[in-house]
Amino acid sequence: MKLNTSHPIFSAYKKNPKLFDEIFNKNGEVKQIYTKLFELYGGLSVEDFVNLNDKAKASFFNQGITFQVYSEAKQKEKIFPFDLFPRIIAPDEWQTIEKGAIQRSKALNLFLWDIYHDKKILKQGIVPVSLLSSSVNYLDQMMDLDPPGGIYNHVSGTDLIKHSDGKYYVLEDNIRCPSGVSYVISNRTALKRALFGVFNHYRTHSVTDYAENLLDILESVKPHGVDQPTCVVLTPGMYNSAYYEHSYLAKSMGVELVEGRDLYVENNFVYMKTIKGPERVDVIYRRIDDHFLDPFEFMPDSSLGVPGLFSVYRQGNVCIVNAPGTGAADDKAIYTFMPEIIKYYLGEEPILNNVQTYHCSKPDQLQYVLENIPDLVVKPVDEAGGYGISIGNRLTKQQIQEVKDQIKANPRKYIAQPIMSLSVHATYIEDSHSFEQRHIDLRTFTLLGKDKEFVLKGGLTRVALQKGNLIVNSSQGGGSKDTWVLKK
Amino acid sequence: MSLRYQIEYSTTNIYENEAEGAKWQFLLVPQHLPEQQLLKNTTVTSVPCVIYTGINAFGFETLMVSSRHSFTEFSLRCTFDILKEELNPFDLPMKDTDSQYQIINSHEFKVDHLSYIRSTSLTHYPSHQELGFKFDRAANILDNLIALNKHVHDLLEFQTMVTDVNTTLDMILHQKKGVCQDFTHLFCALARGNAIPCRYVSGYLHQGVGFTGELQMHAWAEALIPGTGWIGFDPTNNILTNHHHVKVCHGRDYRDCAPIKGVVYTSGTNSTSYNVQVITQQ
Repeated sequence: MKLNTSHPIFSAYKKNPKLFDEIFNKNGEVKQIYTKLFELYGGLSVEDFVNLNDKAKASFFNQGITFQVYSEAKQKEKIFPFDLFPRIIAPDEWQTIEKGAIQRSKALNLFLWDIYHDKKILKQGIVPVSLLSSSVNYLDQMMDLDPPGGIYNHVSGTDLIKHSDGKYYVLEDNIRCPSGVSYVISNRTALKRALFGVFNHYRTHSVTDYAENLLDILESVKPHGVDQPTCVVLTPGMYNSAYYEHSYLAKSMGVELVEGRDLYVENNFVYMKTIKGPERVDVIYRRIDDHFLDPFEFMPDSSLGVPGLFSVYRQGNVCIVNAPGTGAADDKAIYTFMPEIIKYYLGEEPILNNVQTYHCSKPDQLQYVLENIPDLVVKPVDEAGGYGISIGNRLTKQQIQEVKDQIKANPRKYIAQPIMSLSVHATYIEDSHSFEQRHIDLRTFTLLGKDKEFVLKGGLTRVALQKGNLIVNSSQGGGSKDTWVLKK
Repeated sequence: MSLRYQIEYSTTNIYENEAEGAKWQFLLVPQHLPEQQLLKNTTVTSVPCVIYTGINAFGFETLMVSSRHSFTEFSLRCTFDILKEELNPFDLPMKDTDSQYQIINSHEFKVDHLSYIRSTSLTHYPSHQELGFKFDRAANILDNLIALNKHVHDLLEFQTMVTDVNTTLDMILHQKKGVCQDFTHLFCALARGNAIPCRYVSGYLHQGVGFTGELQMHAWAEALIPGTGWIGFDPTNNILTNHHHVKVCHGRDYRDCAPIKGVVYTSGTNSTSYNVQVITQQ
C-alpha cells in the first residue's frame, strides 16, 4: 500500500531515507503489521486526534502518573508524554528479544555470584579486575554472602535499540532498581481508553500480568524455613521521581508499600509496624539505592533505610531484591564485556548484539577515540539518566577539544561507541499537529527467581521528542509509546 | 603462659532534648580466637532495652541495643573476662623472600585480597605525593613491615584532640600528629601501596606496661604475609601485637570498626563520653 496523502494526520509525514523507519519500508510502503493500524489512524482528522491526545494527557495527570527531574532548581511534577500511536513488535522478532534478555539476565546473575565468591572470571583475566577495583558499587560487604535462591538481579531492565541495519542492539543493562514498568501498564490502559477499537484488529499480548509474576518471583526467593512469605515494597517516599510506580506495584501485588521508618529490626528479624502489631517481613523489594539501605553498614546519615537490616540479610533472615552490589555489573565498562561474560558462564553465543565499544582506559583504544571524536558517542561509565553524553557529530571544534581534555584527564571514566542510528517511528507532535519521525528505543523487563524466569511481553518504548535527538531518557524530555507484542 | 584480663567498656550519651527511642550497634565483644578466649560477658544499660547479638558485614559479632523508651541520658557498661595465650613472635612459618614477592605480585593473590588492597577514603594516600615508604625488595616482607611500623611510629607524634574519625591522610601527613587510628590508617595505606593486603583492627590494649593509648578502644593493623598469615602491627607503639592486645574486629578502615553506631530519634545536640579499663587478673 502506497502512502495515501489524503490521510490528513499523516499528510506532513516526511521520510528521511537514511533512517530505519518502523512503519514504512524502503519503498515508502506501510509494513504489513502496521497496515491495519495505519488505516484506522489515517481515518482520523487532526481535530479528532488533538482531542484524544488532550484526554489522554488529562487522564495521566488525574491518576498522578507523574515524575520529577532532579537537576531542575524548581521541582515540578511532569507527566511523562504519551504518544497515542503504538509501536508493534512481530512475534518472531519478539522471540529473539525475549530469549536474549533471559540469556543476559542469567549471565549477569552468574557473573555477580562469581565476583562475590570465587572470582574465577577475574582470576582468568577475562574481565579486568581494574574495572571492579575502582568501582564503588563493588561492595566488600557482599563478599561470600549467599543471597536467598542464589539470585542477585531479580529485576533487570534491558535497553535495546534497532540500528539502521534493522538489527537490535543492547545499549545497557539496568540491574540496580530499573524503573518504568508502571508506564508500560498505564500506557496500555490509556490507549485502551482513548481508542479501544484498535485492539479488536490485533492479537496483542497483555501486559497486566507483570505484578503477579513479580510477586511470584519475590516469593520464590523467600528466606529458608519460611512458608508463606510477607513481601513489601520499600520506597524512599513520595518525593522520589518514581513514587507512582512504587505505589502501583505494591497495590497491584497486594502487598504493603513501606518507607524505612515503617520497618525495624529486632532479634535478627525485620518487622513491619502495623495496627495489629509487628509483622515479620521476609522479602523486601526495595526501590532505594544500596548506599541508603542501612546506616550501620552504608551511609551513616541515611534516614531512608532500616538500621540493622544488613545484619539480618547476612544471616539469611530476609531477602533484599535486587541484591545489594548489583551495580558492579551494570557499569558501562562491564557492559562491553557482556559477549565474553555470556560465553564464559553459559557457553553460548550472545543472542542480542552489543554495540562495539572502545575503552579509554586502554592506550591504543584511547588513541583511536581521541582521533575519531566526530564519529563517536562518548559516555561516562558511571552516570545514569543520559547525563554527560557527548555525541561527536553534534559538537563544534571547541567542544571536541573540551571532550578530548576531559577524557585525557580521566580515561578510566569514559567509553566511546560508534554513533548508533536509532530507528524512527511515526510520533504525533503537538507543535506541528502532525506525525513526524522520531527516534525510539525499547526497555524490556526481565524477572529472575529461584527456578523461574519471566519477560514482560511488551516494554517501554521511549521516544526522543525533540527532532533529531537520540537521547530518549524521560529526564531529558523523552516520551513513550504503548508497545504491542503480537501473538503468533 | 596465659593471662587473664577483665575489660570494662562504658559509654554515656547525654541528649539536649528528650530522645524518643534509639537503635545502636556496638562492636565491642572480643573475637573468639585460638589465642583469645571470652570467658564471661555482661552488658548493663541505664534505660530498659532489647539487647541481642547480630553480625556486621564482615562477620563480626555485634551487640544490637534498641530502646523504645524516652530518655535524655543513656549509658551502657560491658565487662568481658578474657583469657589470652602468649604467642612466640619468633615462631612464625616464613617463606623465602623471593617466593613471598612472587605470591604478592601474582594476579590471583591480588584478586583474592582486593578488599584489603584497594584504598578507602580514610586510607587514601594523597595522590599528589610520592608513597612515603617503599619496600626493600632484598628484604623479607616481615622485616619490611617492621620497618614500616617504625617509620609510621617515628613520623607521627601521638596527640589527642587534633584529629577525629573523619580525618584524612592528607591532613594527618600535613600535621604529623594523631591518635592510634591515624597511625593505623597511615600504616594500612603504605602497606597497601606496596601491594600488601592490610586491614584495620579495633580492640583493647592493656596499657599497664607503659604502652601509648588512651582510655578508649585501641587500633592497630594486620598485614598478610604469604605463607605466614595475618600478622598484627601496632604502629602507635612500634611493636608487633602480643598478648596485651585483645582483638574485637577488623575491616577496611575505622568506619567498618566504629565501636558505636546509632540512630537516635531526637533533636538538638548530644555529648558522648567513653571509658575503657583493662585490668590484669592473676
